[in-house]
Formats: sequence, structure tokens, C-alpha cells
Amino acid sequence: MNWPKGSTASVIDFSSPRHRTKFGYLLMAPAVILMALIIVYPILLSVDISLQDVRIARVGGASEPWTLANYRWLATSAEFWNAVFVTIKLVAVVGGVSLAIGLGTALLVNQRFKGRSVARLLVALPWAVPEVVAVVIWAWMLDSSFGIINWALQVSGLLSAPVEFASNATAAFFAVSAVMIWKGYPFVSIMLLAGLQSIPEEHHQAAQVDGASTWQRFLYITLPGLAPVIGVTMVMTTLWVFRDFAIIFVLTRGGPIGATSTLSILTWEQSFGFFRMGQGAAVGVVTMIICALISRALVGRFAQSVH
Amino acid sequence: MTRPDRTIETPSPSPARGTAADGAATMPYPLVPERQRTAGRLRRAFARKLAIYTGVAATSAVLLFPLYWMLVTALSPRTRLREFPPRLWPEEPQWDVFHDLLATQPFGRWMWNTSLVALSTMILSLSVSVLAAYALSRHKLRGGQSLGLFILTAKMLPATLMVIPFFVIFRSVGLVGSLWSVVLAQSTLIVPFATWMLKGYFDTIPDELEQAALVDGCSPLGTIWRIVLPVAAPGLAATALYAFVLSWSDFLYARTFLTTSQSKWTLNLGIATLKGEFITDWNVIMAGSLMAAAPIIVVYLFLERFLVGGLTAGAQK
Repeated sequence: MNWPKGSTASVIDFSSPRHRTKFGYLLMAPAVILMALIIVYPILLSVDISLQDVRIARVGGASEPWTLANYRWLATSAEFWNAVFVTIKLVAVVGGVSLAIGLGTALLVNQRFKGRSVARLLVALPWAVPEVVAVVIWAWMLDSSFGIINWALQVSGLLSAPVEFASNATAAFFAVSAVMIWKGYPFVSIMLLAGLQSIPEEHHQAAQVDGASTWQRFLYITLPGLAPVIGVTMVMTTLWVFRDFAIIFVLTRGGPIGATSTLSILTWEQSFGFFRMGQGAAVGVVTMIICALISRALVGRFAQSVH
Repeated sequence: MTRPDRTIETPSPSPARGTAADGAATMPYPLVPERQRTAGRLRRAFARKLAIYTGVAATSAVLLFPLYWMLVTALSPRTRLREFPPRLWPEEPQWDVFHDLLATQPFGRWMWNTSLVALSTMILSLSVSVLAAYALSRHKLRGGQSLGLFILTAKMLPATLMVIPFFVIFRSVGLVGSLWSVVLAQSTLIVPFATWMLKGYFDTIPDELEQAALVDGCSPLGTIWRIVLPVAAPGLAATALYAFVLSWSDFLYARTFLTTSQSKWTLNLGIATLKGEFITDWNVIMAGSLMAAAPIIVVYLFLERFLVGGLTAGAQK
């Protein structure tokens, strides 16, 4: 390169090792700036809003003085504690059932048989269906007058009268759980299948040579080998139930009388249903803290893989 | 004289059979003849196959029934939907339901809006994420680790919280009701997601190729463009599709920012509203759902391997 000396001084040559790190920072800059604008700033703003006694918050201009009124409202609000309870119940039902069916399915499609790849494709298909579509299909199947589920329940003699999934609190909760399990369990089986495939075949063979039964092999080789993946998957399912909005909102909108109102639904309803953004943001901030605590388990596991 | 000869010959048949007999004598179950044993094994193998296929068939039938029911309902005449027992097979498929949908609702518009949002989100997130992911994977940067952890945590943020400050911000800059509001808001989830996924892919690519290119005088940016991206193409495709699918499925942001003007709705918002308004026209709603789900299902069926690979990559580490 026969450039005049003056011009090389003004241009930083990024291919030289001396400037390699600078180049790295430069590559990172757009993402960092974008994330600062659309993640960090909104989070700070939401904490700010949760500390203001406002109905519709604004940016710029005079903001309200900070107060803990919204958090005091939380602590004493029956709606909030109901939402906490509903969320925990939903996590337990959806997580438990998804894990049971997901493990069963993963073990099934992990067997060697013809058409295995097609079977794997099919059993995970609901995962690819948009949530709103999933809900709308289920809403039709659960329809109280013409839905096929009510018809099947009555024809089979399990029920004498159709269930009103929209107005019966227990039925609404199970309807929401059913949709969430249908939509969310394929993820569990995909993850567990990947986990199963990472268990070395030799372990099974060695156990078989030692005379272990199928059940013993499942208990002492498959389950321990799968435990970390089960942990990660359950944490992710829990976080998904905590954060999900579309399924519950479109199916029941949190009703009837709060029977399916999770923390996410309460956050949104307070903010955009009743336009009490201060209180909504307070619920949201608490949800975020809970989610952060839950995901710590996950982040801790991943921490080593970040460099 | 022949007898002693025979007695000498009989105990030494073919060497292979001799060892088999010896082995059988020491094994715990020597008494079952070989033919019967293979028959038993075959029967057991058959029972196993039967159990597997029954299990797979039953699981898929239960799982896929809702999707099948969506198809049947969409193609059934409106009046049939109020009859008992329900018809499990559409006898005369009504294809004009799609015409009705396009004629009575701004459905084409919603589809266009959804595609526009999904493509913009995908392009915006990916162009930012590719560079950051590459930097995180290749350069040892101060703060790189904390950035990685931040990105990981950002994936877990509850969107119902984020939507509040976004609404406030967008209202003050006049973006509420614009498709851009949805694109920007969705990037809060998709940028961390894409960065994390791409970093995983870059980590699997050895950096000798880039070193060679740099030595040969290729510029660092040129190296990324000409060497790294082509090699990482499958990973890029998977991440792009993932971003597209996530964006296509959004409901929360569209419901919050776009409700005011029907011409700005996305598919999901339109379908959810149809469900609220036209409770009786389930065939129309199902036809709409079918059209909203079809692109994603097609993408999934063809590219399952990529998508699932991207999904599970993070968990395997």
C-alpha cells in the first residue's frame, strides 16, 4: 500500500490486530444502541410509571411525584393476589401435564421405526400454529351450543348438559389450560427429544448387558441424563405461562370474574382496559422481577457458554 | 470295524455347531429350540412395532384434530355448523368462503400488513443482530459477557410490561396506529433472540477461514460479508425464519397499538376481532385462521430441521 502518510493517519485500518477490538465494538454498536432505546429505556420508564399515581402516563413535561401508592394498592388488592394464585395454578397444571405428555411423546418418537421423521414432524406441529389461531379453533370446539367437545361429552354420557366454558369459572380455567397445553407441550417434547438424543447409546447398552430392565434403564439412565434438559424446559415453560397474553385474552379475557386472570392479563387490563397505567406498570414490574428470579436458574446454567 | 469309526466321528460335527452347543450349555436358557426363540423375538418385535405405531397414530390424531377441525369447519356451509351431530367430513366443500372473507373483510389488507411487519422486523433485527452476534462470538470484548447475559435476560421480559412504556413513547411521537410501532416493539424480543441464536451458529464455525481471508488482504467487513455469512447461511436462514414466525404470531402489540383503524390491523388482530363480533360465522373465522396459519405451517413443514435445531441449540450447551 503506497498511500501517502497523511491519509493513513486519518483512516483506522481495522484489519490490523491493534484495532481488532475497536472493530468488535463497532460491530456491536448498532445492537447496543437499539437495545438501549427499545429495551433499557422502556424498562426504566415502566419503573418510573409504576412509581407515579397516573392514569395515562406521558413522557416529557411535568411528571407526577414519585409515590409507592401503586405498590400499596398491589399489596392490599384482591385482584392482584387472585392473579398470583391463578398464575401459579396455571403454571402447575400446564407445566405438569406438558411434562408428562411431552416426555411420553419424546420417548415414543425416539424409538426406531419407519416413518419416525414424519411422526416427529406431526407431533410438534401445534408449536407452529400462531397463538391466536390456536385459541380461535379451540374457542369454536369449546362453543357451548354447537362445539364438538360439548357434543362429544354429552354423547359419551359424561355430561348431561353442555358446559358454558365462558361463564363457568372452573370450566374456563380448564379451557385455558387445555389450549396452553396443546400449544406449549410440543416445545417440551422437542426439547426432551433433543435431550434423549444426547444420551450416549453406550450407556443403555452397558446397562442392558448388566441385566437392567427397561424400567430400570429409564429410571437410572434416561431420567438422570435428561434432568438438566427437563429443568431448562420447565423453567422456559413457566416463563411462557407467566408472560403469555394472547391465549387467555382472546379465549376468556381473564374472566369469568378473574378466574383466568394471570399477572400478564391483569397488567394489560389495568393499563389499557381501565387506563390505570400506574397500577398496571406496578403489576408488570412485579411480574418482571418474578420472571427475572425464575430465569436466574436458566441464566446461571448458560453463563458459562457466554465466552 | 465301522462302528468304532462312527463313534469317533459323531462327537465332532462342524466346529461352528460345536461352539453353539457349548455356549447353549452354559447359558441360562438352553432348552428353547432356536426356531422357537426367533419366533418369540419376532412376535415381541411385532408387538413393539404395533405399540409404537398405535401410540404415534393416537397421539397425532388427538393433537392434529383441532387443525383438521379448522379445515372442515372452514369448508362447511354455515347452516351445517348448527346441526347435530357435527359432520366430521365436509360433504360439499364450500370454497367461496375465501371469496366471502376477502369481499366482506379487509382480509387482503391484513395479510399485507402482517407480511410487511414480519418482513421489516426480520430485516431490522437480523441486520443488527448479525454484527453483534459476530462480535460476541469472535472478539473478546470488555463487557461482552454482561451483554450476553443481558440479552439472555431480555428474552424473558414480560411483553405485557413493555407494552406500557411503548404506548407512552409512541403516543408522544405519534407512532400509535402505525405499523412501525409494532415492528419496533417486536424487536425487543426478536433482537435478543436472533443475536443469541446467531452467536451459537458463529461459535460452531472455525475461524481459520477468516484468518486466511484477512491474511490475503480482505477487509474485516469484507471477510464477514464474503466468508462468514455464506458459511453461516443455514444458521442465518433459520434465524430469519424464526424472527418471521415470532413476528407473524404477535397479537399483544397489534392489539394495543393498532386497534383504532381497521385498515392497519394484522391478521391475528383481525381474526381475534372476528371471533368477538361474528360468533355465528365460524366458517368465515376458520377460513381466516387457516389463511393466517398456513404460511407458518408450510414454513415449519419444510424447514423443521432448521427451526428445531435453532430452538434446541441453546439448551444443549
